[in-house]
This record gives sequence, C-alpha cells and structure tokens, in this order.
Amino acid sequence: MKIPVSWVKDFVPLEVEPQKLADDLTSIGLACDGIEFFGKEAVLDLDITTNRVDAMNMYGVAREAATFYGLPLMPLSTDFPEAGAPGSEVLRIEIEAPELCPVFSGRVFDVRVGPSPSWLKDRLELAGQRSISNIVDLSNYVMLEMGQPTHAFDLAKLRGGVLKARMASAGEVVKTLDDVDRTLTAAMGVVADAEGALAIAGVMGGTSSEISEATRTVALEAAYWNPLMIRRGSKALGMHTDASHRFERGADPSAGPISLARFASLAARGGMGTARPVLVQARGAQIVPRNLTLNLGSIDARLGASVPSEYSKTTLVRLGFEVKEPDPGAAAHLGSARTWEVVVPTWRGDCAREVDLIEEVARHYGLMKIARTVPASRRAAGLTSAQTTERRLKALLSGLGYREVLQLNFVSSAKCDPSSGSVVRIANPLSVEQDALRTSLVMPGLLEALERNQRHGARDIQFFELGRTFAPSAEGPVETPRLALLISGATPRGWAGKPRTLDFFDLKRTIEDILRRHSSGALTLTRDGVPPFLHPGRSAVIRIDGAAIGYLGELHPDTIAAFSLRDRPVVAEVWFDALTSRKTPAFEAFSRYPEVVRDLSILAPSTASAIEILALARDKAGDIAREVALIDRFEGAGVPAGQISLTLSFLFQDDARTLSSEEVERAIDAVRASFSALGYVARGLA
Amino acid sequence: MSSLDDLKSRAHELRARLEGQLASASDSAALQAVRDRFLGRKAGEITALFKDLGKLAADARKDAGEALNALKEFAEAKIGEAEALVERRQRDSRLSSERIDVSLPGRARASGGKHPLTLVREEVEDVFIGMGFDIFDGPEVDDDFHCFEALNMPADHPARDMQDTFYLEGLPPRLLRTHTSTGQIRSMLANENPPGVRILCPGRVFRRDDDITHSPMFHQFEGLVVDHGITLGDLMGTLETFIHRLFGKEYPVRFRPSYFPYTEPSVEVDMGCSTCKGRKTGCRVCKQTGWVEILGSGMVHPAVFESVNARIGKVVYDPAKVSGFAFGTGIERVAMIKYGISDIRLFYESDVRFLQQFS
Repeated sequence: MKIPVSWVKDFVPLEVEPQKLADDLTSIGLACDGIEFFGKEAVLDLDITTNRVDAMNMYGVAREAATFYGLPLMPLSTDFPEAGAPGSEVLRIEIEAPELCPVFSGRVFDVRVGPSPSWLKDRLELAGQRSISNIVDLSNYVMLEMGQPTHAFDLAKLRGGVLKARMASAGEVVKTLDDVDRTLTAAMGVVADAEGALAIAGVMGGTSSEISEATRTVALEAAYWNPLMIRRGSKALGMHTDASHRFERGADPSAGPISLARFASLAARGGMGTARPVLVQARGAQIVPRNLTLNLGSIDARLGASVPSEYSKTTLVRLGFEVKEPDPGAAAHLGSARTWEVVVPTWRGDCAREVDLIEEVARHYGLMKIARTVPASRRAAGLTSAQTTERRLKALLSGLGYREVLQLNFVSSAKCDPSSGSVVRIANPLSVEQDALRTSLVMPGLLEALERNQRHGARDIQFFELGRTFAPSAEGPVETPRLALLISGATPRGWAGKPRTLDFFDLKRTIEDILRRHSSGALTLTRDGVPPFLHPGRSAVIRIDGAAIGYLGELHPDTIAAFSLRDRPVVAEVWFDALTSRKTPAFEAFSRYPEVVRDLSILAPSTASAIEILALARDKAGDIAREVALIDRFEGAGVPAGQISLTLSFLFQDDARTLSSEEVERAIDAVRASFSALGYVARGLA
Repeated sequence: MSSLDDLKSRAHELRARLEGQLASASDSAALQAVRDRFLGRKAGEITALFKDLGKLAADARKDAGEALNALKEFAEAKIGEAEALVERRQRDSRLSSERIDVSLPGRARASGGKHPLTLVREEVEDVFIGMGFDIFDGPEVDDDFHCFEALNMPADHPARDMQDTFYLEGLPPRLLRTHTSTGQIRSMLANENPPGVRILCPGRVFRRDDDITHSPMFHQFEGLVVDHGITLGDLMGTLETFIHRLFGKEYPVRFRPSYFPYTEPSVEVDMGCSTCKGRKTGCRVCKQTGWVEILGSGMVHPAVFESVNARIGKVVYDPAKVSGFAFGTGIERVAMIKYGISDIRLFYESDVRFLQQFS
C-alpha cells in the first residue's frame, strides 16, 4: 500500500527522515518494500499483512508510528456544518439480513459534482489512485485515510427513498460500475432500494444509482459487512476491490458514522457539498467490544525477555486498547497471578487471544532487543535408517557417475504406462500436460528428460532420481518411494581409450552394486511381467529372494520412436523399501592356506544360461571350490555357429589344509564330465 | 719353470689388458665376458695364474701370492665399478624413456553428482541435526485437516488465497500439500514422547503457479520445536545459528514481526543480501534494501495445539503449559541465494548443463 508520509503527518508530528520511518515501521511489522520520492513528497510502499486491515490506511499507520515514537496521535477532525431538512425525511435504511450487515449508516448530502480540488487529487495520486470526480474521490480519500469504504448513491435514482441491506435473490442481476452485468446468487449480499438491487454489498456499486454531473443529492452509505460473506461473494464473482479487500478481512464495525462525519467535514472544507442533519442508521446486531485477560507473566514467558509492565501497558493504551488493572490489593494477594483486563478496540478484530496482546507488546518492544538463545536439547537426534539409506544411495550413485535429477510429480495421464496401473488425477490441473500424478519415475519423466538433453547434443547420460509414485486406493492415493536409473550413449570420450556403448550390463552392474550394499537377499532376474515399454529380449524383473522389487531393461524400439530418442537407453526402477533390509555383515575368518586357480573353457549352445552353467560348475567342483567366476564369453571367429565359448575361473582353497594338485584336478574333471554329459565341449584348461 | 719375474710380468700385462677391455665394454653382456675372461673359475686368466703359484719356489710364493691377490682385488673392484656404472646408466635411460606427460587429464570416467537441491537440503538437515532435530518425512498427498484446518486456517480463510491448492479427483477428498507445515501437525500427532518435539520436515510442496519465480512443485523445509518453556528468544537464537552455519557469520540477521495464521507472534527472518553484501545500490536481488527474506517463523499458535489435542482426544499439548516455535522456507530459495540462480524452473529441467555445475 502506498503511504504518502505527509498524509501520515496530518495525525502525528513526525520528524524522522523517511528512510528511518521505513526501517522503524518494518521493525514493528509494517514492512516497507521501498520509498519513492516525488519532489518533497516521500511515499512508502508498505506491505501490510492480511491480518492488519486496521493498518491499511493513513490513520492506522499514524497510530503505529505515534505508539512507536511516543508521539501524540491527533484525532480525525469530524466537525461539520449541517443544513437543510433532516436527511431522515428522504432516506430510510433497513437491514433485512442482520447476519450480513450488523450495522448500516447513511447520511444525505447536497453536493456540487465536479472535478476534485488539487489537494484531493494530488493526495490520491500519491497514494496510487486515479481521480474521477470530487464526490467519488472524497469517498476514496476517506477510505484510504481511515479504512472505512463508503459508497455514494444518487438519491434521485433511489426508488422508494430506501437503502436496504439484504441477500440477493438467486439470479438477480446488477450492472456494476465497471459496466459488467453480474448475476448473483442467494448467498451474496446487496444494497437495494425498494425495487431492486443497486450494488453488490461490500464489493462494488452499480451503474443504475451511479452519481453523475447532474447529481444534486447523494445518499452516502457506510456499513460493516460480514467478512466471510463478502469473501465468498467476491471470490465467486471473481471480483477483488479496495472495498472487498478491507471488508473480507474485517473492517472496523464502529467506523461507519465516523467516516460519514469525516466525509462531511472534508466536503464542507472543499466546498463540495453540505450534510443534511441526522445520521440515518440501522442496527442488525449489537457490537460488543472484546475483553481479554492478560497474564503479565505470560509476556516474559512467551518472549524470553523482561519487558517492564509499564512499557506493556503504555504500548497497549497507545494502540487503542483499554487496560484495566484490578484492585492492587487483590493483585498482591498471595498466589494470584498478576493479570489485566484488556478491552480490544473495535478496529482490532485480529486480536482475539492473550497471545495476540503479547505480540502487540513484542513488536513494539523490538524483537531485536530480545536475547537470542538456543534451547537445550534433552534428546538424541538424527536420521532414521531409511533416511540414511537415501543419503548413502545418492552418494553411491554420484560416485558411480550418475547425476541426480528431480522431476515434477505432474505428468500427462496420456503418457503414463497403462501397465503400471490407474493414475491419480488432478481435479484442477494447470494443463492437460500435467493432469495426473506420476505412476513411474521413468515413464514418461526420465525419457522426456533424456529427449530434452539429446536435443541439445548431450548423448552420454547417466541419471538417477529418488522420488515417489502415486496410485489410487480406497483410502486415498498411496505414495511409493522409488529409485529410478537411466543410462544412454557411451562411456566418456578421452585420450586414453575408445568410448564403449553403455548397455544392459552396465546398469545391471549398478543394480548389483546397490543391492550388495542395501539388501541381504539373493538377486535374480526373470523375464516374466516386464513392462511393455521395454525390449522383450533385453529386460527383466529384478527379484530379491524371489520377490519382485523392480525392473531393468533396454527401451523397446517403439518407445524409442515414440519419445524421439536416439541410441539405446537402458532404464530401471527399484522400489526403495526393498533397499532398507540390509543386515550388518558378520565377519567370517578367512583361510590362510594357499589358493589354487584353474581356468576352464567350454563350448556351449549360445542359448545356454550363464547362471545355470555357473551353478552346475559350482556344484560339481565341490566344497573346495571357493569361487567360480565367468571370466570370458566369446562368439564369432573360431567358435562354431550357434555356440559360445565360455571361460570359467575356479578358485580352490580349504580352510584347514593345503590342497593337493590331485584333488584340484579331480574337481575340475568332475566339472568337465558334467559339461560333456550335457554335450558341451570342454576345451581344456586355459 | 716359471719364474717370479715371469709371473709378475704376466700379471702386469693382464692388468693393462683388463683396463683396456673394461674401457671398451659398454653393456652388461660385454662386462660379463670380461669378468669370465679374467675371473672365470675355469678359464679365467687371473684364475690360471693362481694355478701357476705352485710351480714357484717356496720362497717366491709369498711374494707372488701377494702380487696375484692384488691383481684379483683390482680386477674385482674395476669390473664391479664398471658394472655399477652400466646398471646406473641402464636405470637412468629406463626412467627417462618411461617419462609420461603429467599434464594429460585423468582417465575419462562418467562423473555424477547430487542435485543442488539435495546438496542444500542435506546441509540444512545437518545443521539442524546438530541442534538436536530429527528429520521427519510426511506424505505429499494430504488432506484439508493437516494442510489448513489444524493450522488455524479454517475454510474461507484469506491466507488460503496465497496457497492456491491442487485437489485430487476421487474420494476421500485429498490435496497436494501446499506447504511442509503439515509436518507440524503430523509430527505432533505421531509423537511417541509428548510433549517434546524437535523436527525438521523437508519435502516437496505444490501450488498452482508457474512462472520464472514460481514452479507448481517446489521444496520446503518446516521446523517445529515444542516443549515446556520454549521462547521467542529460542526461536531467534536457533534460526540465527542456522543462517550463520549455512551462509557464514558475516551475514547479519534481522527479525521482524509478520503474520502467519498458525503462529503468534509471527516473525519474518531476513539476512544480509549476499549479492550486494549490504551495498544496496542498484541491487535487484534485495531491491536495494540490503536484506533478503530467508525464513518465515513464529511461536506456535495456541489454536494449532488445540486442533491437535482435539484430534488426539485429550490435552497432550496444553497451550498453558507448553509452547513452541515453527519455521520454514523454500529450499529453492536458499539454493538460489547460495548459488546465484535466478530461474527456479532450471531445478526441474534435468539439463546436464545445469546439473554438472554443482558436483
């Protein structure tokens, strides 16, 4: 809100420089975002928090400044001459909806509509308002000055000489001052005359009763409107005005008559109009000031400071609170806490509890004066095991050359993989491209991320993401944390060697690295139930002790085409919960006897499964074989078509003795014999 | 019959020949040949001279023996010297031939790294873990109670306008949390040792906004401390410590009154602008104020405790007996200040040109 400093000075004799004023107001909660200078005029741009509707005007800012500096706050001048017949003869006010409108005041003015005098125009312009005509401007001026919106109706256009506060009838139409026909619902309030609605209560006036150059008499209205009803109404209509902004946050219910008097006083001074006698008023409900009890000990206890009680009292009183101290004798009575009864001014609807009073004291006392302490902790703290796992995974994958990405949870439901189940849809999406929550981190998320990178020439990519996927359920969406991996392109180019295409087995190695650290179960890969966006011959379901924990595979050529990708990307997703089962490894004493290494090459059909060959070799080599590994796999020149050459390496060792070469040879012979039985050709020891 | 003189002259002649041959032997093979020729057990010429000692008269033997031993020692020393020299030359030439260009870059390998938001998040978490906080994870999908109602934002509260919410289709009614303040409610409800709470809840949040400074998804962390006797001074001390640990002690910290529905008093926390270092002039980051907003905070509003108590069904957090403070901010905001990033959308585009700058 724009606050011309000179306007504030109408009410408080400030002597500080504008910058100092801005800093001080910021320190008490009226944050200043900037100062603009227009000649000698300084205008503060204050960001008033939504709870402080009382400070969204010059007088409210003046009250804060006067309190802070200990300066006197001048009252608003509201003296004015009256002339003519009582206004009550030509204007009646009725409240038909007391919940909507607890109090409704009006006054009749004889006016001379014309351009505004320069003092009025200039001030409005400094405050960021455009000048329209003197009567409209003056209404705006009073609102900016003291916060109460008023509205001027052309009395001649009022049918039946009445202003009514009532609920709209459903479908009732008001053409508002911005020339739009607004169709209302029964939940919205209106100001009406005897025949129909004239204005939308608390939001905007209508054209049918709008004042013009021909207007001679106006009915000026100032009401207090139910904040919730104004808020719902203006929201439903999509209208936000200076008036609705104030009413929906709770204006001052006592301010109506004062605002009319202020208008009258300024109108007389500017020769713009004369008030007729009698304030016309109706009450729908009594306005009872709020009483709060303030326990003086609470201030220091809440703040961790020692605020003198005299300071607290003075501050509250300056801000308009009435502070009643109980009989000192009673206060001194043993065991009774020292309390004050505090009457909240009607303009401070935000103060509803003791703690609100403590805040009033604290912000004026100065937060920066309170000693800053760190509270003692009497508990052990740290990461849970899942949180530790998450950090270790991220560190491991970073070390393995993967870059972490974070993607939006929003995806296009049309691009989700149908095999991953139903999607959770957003009821009010920003766009159809973001109309659902992701069911997979890979599809479409990581694939789109890869496409974007490939488009600008980045081909060699290794990505990972730890994030959640969503699936609907009867109890609401279920969130499943997952780890996703994507590799594409080749190993980096460098002087020391040729790049190598990244493939399935690179990513499988990463999965093995992860599982070795984060799971205690046995890893197997199976071909059943693989997502359809993967290459059927180059993909697998990842299983730990038989249970599926994710998938791994090269993209299906159709997927590559659908996402306009290059190269042959390989992706994986692993359910994060499967990575938190690692048991602490128990140390096993290692053998100190010599190791014997033997390699054996065989020719096998190219359809043979490596894991079965290894299992057979391990079984036949017996207990003395500590490790059996596949160290070479070759097909092509020198190997008959349809066959592969495999080299197995055996490491023999016993825990209690040195092995003889005879028993090692027997073990190898047993392996060779079992391969021969399968028709594999043992090519001898390498 | 050899005479002593004859032997001596042969020794003399051998000595001269040895020196001549050593001078022309330049590698270890040639040296071995010299060694074999003079000192070889069977065919060595010096070895042969020793065999002739027995042919001398007894009185001449001692003299001749001394002369031969001197020759042998001389030969051993000279050959040894020459061998050492050759060995040294060979080693030197090997070392110089093995020279590498140390200016070549290290062998190429894919380099990875954590996302900048993860780096900031972990750093923030570690500062608070050091002050006795647990890290609390809450759901991204939540409901109106945890996101608004329990936080003193009943239906139609104006503060809801600032957090335009994504709602999900289907029943029961669910929304995407607009802030990690849901962690306040959830941590108090889940607390196994009430009333003490000291948690930091980092995570994703969602608002219907999309421009250069707003993303429909971003990250926040929310902190909550509840106990007997927690004060506003504790709030300020904790958050000042946090800012000083994260950014450095050279940054001043400012606390000023503000408004949040779920705290009272509410406090906005500013830190000295890291871009202009307080010079203000022309700084677009701090709009020439010298300060940037870094955290929202405040003392837990009694209404929040009351909502939690009502949900539990008994007074666990009695506002008359316990107090607390809460705080929160956007992790992107911290990262943008820390790294000088101006477009929030860069964080989610997964562009390697962006990501590789932080590892």
